[in-house]
Amino acid sequence: MKRRDFFKTAAVVGVATVGSSAFGSNVAMREPIDSRTPQKINFPEKRPMITHSNRPPLLEAPRSTFSQVITPNDEFFVRWHLPDIPTFIDTDKYAIRITGNVAKPYELTLKELKEDFEQIEVTAVVQCGGNSRSAFVPITGGVQWGSGAMGCAKWKGVRLKDVLKRAGMKEGSHWVNFNGMEKPAYDKTPDFVRELNLDELNEDVMIAYQMNDEDLPYLNGFPTRLIVPGYYSDSWVKMIKDIVVTKDHTPLFFMDQAYRIAANATHGETPDHLAKMTKPITRMNIKSFIGFPDEGAEVEFQSQLVVRGVAFDGGIGIEKVLISLDNGKTWKEAMLGIDYGRYAYRAFRYSFRPNEKGNLSIMAKAIDHLGQEQPLAKDVPWDRGGYMFNGIDIVTIKIV
Amino acid sequence: MKKIIFSTVLALSPLMAQVSQEIISPDVTYTLKEGKGLDSVQANCSMCHSFGYILNQGKQSHMFWDEKVHKMINAFKAPIAPEDIPTIVGYLSTAYGNGK
Repeated sequence: MKRRDFFKTAAVVGVATVGSSAFGSNVAMREPIDSRTPQKINFPEKRPMITHSNRPPLLEAPRSTFSQVITPNDEFFVRWHLPDIPTFIDTDKYAIRITGNVAKPYELTLKELKEDFEQIEVTAVVQCGGNSRSAFVPITGGVQWGSGAMGCAKWKGVRLKDVLKRAGMKEGSHWVNFNGMEKPAYDKTPDFVRELNLDELNEDVMIAYQMNDEDLPYLNGFPTRLIVPGYYSDSWVKMIKDIVVTKDHTPLFFMDQAYRIAANATHGETPDHLAKMTKPITRMNIKSFIGFPDEGAEVEFQSQLVVRGVAFDGGIGIEKVLISLDNGKTWKEAMLGIDYGRYAYRAFRYSFRPNEKGNLSIMAKAIDHLGQEQPLAKDVPWDRGGYMFNGIDIVTIKIV
Repeated sequence: MKKIIFSTVLALSPLMAQVSQEIISPDVTYTLKEGKGLDSVQANCSMCHSFGYILNQGKQSHMFWDEKVHKMINAFKAPIAPEDIPTIVGYLSTAYGNGK
């Protein structure tokens, strides 16, 4: 057993007894899997990433990605639900159809998108609702992600409200459905369609065609993607094909059955007592993640070590990030980087000289402007879908 | 190579002239262990997803794999014949089981 594996196992054993009192006998939350490394495979426009699947593509960024406040396009995670993704898009003919309960249904070309509307930019984090799912014990449904199914980019595009305004929404409109161009292998498999209530569509929701001053990478939704700042990525529909305005909620698998959590205050439940009522996951909770150093890194005794990472939430904003070097007994404030807006990563760094040889655990905890802070991994509520894990990150290094 | 072609074409025109060639994603082989029922898994599962989806789950219980196969049938409408279900679940819980 590798040393780092020992620590992960020890941590699980350590929390099992605590978990038993809080969430029932068989729940024992742990730190997410942190032992995977990028494979030597290059997907289009991507550097080698942790490759969970090629069909549909599931690519995760390694820990080192998160020492940067803006996630480079070629390190940005990838998650598709359906296998048949177009491999050729004629950008002259490509258009988004806006239909449904509107006075003037129309097709919106890329040229019109870029010329006919006010162009806006927002820097925002997008994170899979199931990011860090491998922290959940017992195992829950879905891809067993480590913590790299997230990224932060500067998005450029137009306001969704402006696009809808041109169509002239009719009275009684309450919902908007979004469908991308990818398709399932079988006709009867539910299509990946997402629905937002008009009340959720503020000025920040946009249709983006650029990411970090480049065209959207193919695997991140070229040529257009819905940007819903503060929300988990299941709402950020890629390769947009259809926008449909409706009066009533449309029955949809990916809204009514998937991407849902317990509809109670903690959104927690236990395998033995599943919540009766559930609701879609929407706004992200507060989280931080250490990008440097890596788990298991060897660092020289008394050298200057700068811990770097990122912190974010669903739009409240990061007040501070605290670092502990003594397993949570004492916490010291990290320095925060430039504020790129309330939906962006806030970079943090913490400099110190390790003055004792041996293993050292570094913990990072973010606190928002309202005083809400991240829980320890063992205190994150379990839910059947393995969503919204935001436990305090721990990296154990060796001082030599 | 594809990446270079793709980006270059886009850079030439602000309106993104037609991408002249298809995007090609790499073939990745996720090899499953040999075992009774592997052929049934290959025939039934790989239409919709790579075997990476299976390996990603880690070693799990018989009940876990049984639930997964039924989720594929009930939620995702995979056309898996009823007689294939025990074969697939048997393979998964043997090759990727945790003894429970």
